Amino acid sequence: MNGTGTRARSGLLNLLPLAALVCFLWWAPANLDGYKLRVINLIAINAILGLSLNLIYGMAGMFSLGHAGFMAIGAYVSALLILTPEQKVTMWILEPIAPWLLNLHTPFIVSLVLAGLAAAFVGWLIALPVLRLGGDYLGIATLGFAEIIRILIVNLTPLTNGSLGLKGIPAHTDLWMSYGCFLVILVFVARLMGGNFGNVLRAVRDDEVAARTMGIDTFRVRTLAFTLGCFGAGIGGALMGNLITTIDPKMFMITQTYNLLMIVVVGGLGSITGSVIGSVLVTTMLEWLRFVENPITLGSLHIPGIPGMRMVLFSVLLIAIIIFRREGIMGTREFSWNWFFPPKNAPRALPDEGGRGR
Amino acid sequence: MKKFLLAVCVVLLAAGVSFGADVIRIGVVATVTGQNAFGGQLELEGMQLANKIYPEALGKKIELVVVDNKSDKVESATAASRLIENDKVAALIGPYGSGPTMAAGEVAEVAGIPLMGTACTNPLVTEGKKYIFRACFIDPFQGEAAANYAYKNLGYKKAAVLTDVASDYAVGLASFFKANFAKLGGAIVADLKYQSGDTDFTSQLTEIIGKEPDVLFIPAYFAEGAIIMKQGFELGAKFRFMGGDAMDNPEIVTLGGEAVEGFLHTTFAYDPTMPEMNAEAKAFTEAWKQEYPGKESNANAAMGYDSYVLLYQAILSAGKAEPQAIRDALENMKNVATVTGLTSFSAESHDPVKDAGIVEIKDGKKSYIYTINP
Repeated sequence: MNGTGTRARSGLLNLLPLAALVCFLWWAPANLDGYKLRVINLIAINAILGLSLNLIYGMAGMFSLGHAGFMAIGAYVSALLILTPEQKVTMWILEPIAPWLLNLHTPFIVSLVLAGLAAAFVGWLIALPVLRLGGDYLGIATLGFAEIIRILIVNLTPLTNGSLGLKGIPAHTDLWMSYGCFLVILVFVARLMGGNFGNVLRAVRDDEVAARTMGIDTFRVRTLAFTLGCFGAGIGGALMGNLITTIDPKMFMITQTYNLLMIVVVGGLGSITGSVIGSVLVTTMLEWLRFVENPITLGSLHIPGIPGMRMVLFSVLLIAIIIFRREGIMGTREFSWNWFFPPKNAPRALPDEGGRGR
Repeated sequence: MKKFLLAVCVVLLAAGVSFGADVIRIGVVATVTGQNAFGGQLELEGMQLANKIYPEALGKKIELVVVDNKSDKVESATAASRLIENDKVAALIGPYGSGPTMAAGEVAEVAGIPLMGTACTNPLVTEGKKYIFRACFIDPFQGEAAANYAYKNLGYKKAAVLTDVASDYAVGLASFFKANFAKLGGAIVADLKYQSGDTDFTSQLTEIIGKEPDVLFIPAYFAEGAIIMKQGFELGAKFRFMGGDAMDNPEIVTLGGEAVEGFLHTTFAYDPTMPEMNAEAKAFTEAWKQEYPGKESNANAAMGYDSYVLLYQAILSAGKAEPQAIRDALENMKNVATVTGLTSFSAESHDPVKDAGIVEIKDGKKSYIYTINP
């Protein structure tokens, strides 16, 4: 079978899980309880955030610790655009809200797109000076910018209600919305990485000097990747705000970024499949492990619940993954239908997604 | 070996989800890990004590289902959702602090499960909510009480304020203190800010010392508040320090030493050192001593205890342990005796009108010196 045929078959096969997902989304709301739905929603949001961070860190090789800041921008832009004027008046109890903001009101979809664009724009502004740095310095600089964003939100009370936060955000994030956004971003990133831009990005990541010698405008490529990643962070933040229905600046501290970093690293730096697996694993494990905190009675033996125990177990799990699979679950590899149907007369053809060759 | 491990896992899982038929379940979104773990742990111990004293209602055992929220907002919402859907609780007791309570509250409101907030003093928590109640007073009252006490009882005319701008609690309380102090005729001579997690306050304190206020109001959490007082003491500050309910910590003297001498803070109207206790407070103090010997209680523990008692009384007067009935009973609750005073709710307000207390650190001891009526 030649390459074109394999691709056509993969395209057809891709429809299968898509159909399964659509069936599941159609079945789930009526048959699962709110708790499970919430966790399933969180998986999609974490996958969006993980993918967008992976685009910056794993695929473009820029160590960024600023994701929580861009999430905050997305969450706030979206929330401020969909809250009604009456809600805003009752919430700004310390200082009055800025008059131009009071009557600003858009439908959810518009607010979602604007949230992404706002985060991308700020990301682009920050990228211009910061991306001249590399390695750990970039991490520190992005971390600083994320803190600046958070502190601005805390102090711009007429715009953001400061540290009091916002509440009563309409719960627009349902399964269709979160998985719709997730699929769009997943397909976009997969096409991006499968195309020439993906090769360019990998070239820049693996050897910037060599890439530049080949005539690649490395700064432009990195800026573009960073901005796209920030767009994803903005979308994820907006969906998160609409799921929790209340936000405040404390939600977007560095711990939020660590959570996402964990998803990306556990899944595999540079692997789209890995980020999705990572988000499923981290989100469900944190909830599933709660049973170890319940009081347990084994016959006559009664063990009182120890709160915080699940975090201990979770850490052990993480350490185990990092010890035994340092490159994460997927490494830089991607899921491919060729795993199940090996191409017949193409001996060890290079997969679409070339790895770092570990 | 593998089989054995598998068997253990299965047994543990099965044990984790044991169901009882004749049980009333009350869910607790507890804050026992993360940055607010200290206050959250005392609250939880208060609730568990109350559960021990009032273990049954309507002939059924009351079971507390505790889920930790890591002091985190997203986790609070998930935890509340888990308690409602998985454990089918009849009512919830909220997490420590206003932000997490709002997140849990949104879930409870949609599901129609009553939620009793413990020490969430931000006015927004119950605003516009049908199913959300709280056992404590709100910050506008606390700010007013602190301003009144400083101005009228102590005769202070010049106040300075040092606010943690990253904390909703501190910002709210500071703003209500300033408004009321100015309204009484006092002057706010300095209004400075810091961020949660800061450890050096010497520049702010030096500026405040230069302004010579009579009192410095610090609506801080204990971690920062203790450092502020210590650095103020080292800089030779002559003014008095004053704080809010979040500074209530049984260990304050051990941790702060001579730097906290003379410190005043408002609190919920309970402290083990209270000279005149109501019957509930006496019973609580005695029971606490027996249950947790060697550990001091404080207002947080009392609030946890009270939150449970309020739900317990609501279940009794509703006559059934159904969420809607409990909510209606809570809304019609009038003058129920609790540790921190009589508690009433109405359809207009889910915020009880309660006394505030003033605690002073005098001669190396924490003592409850005054009660402010609303």
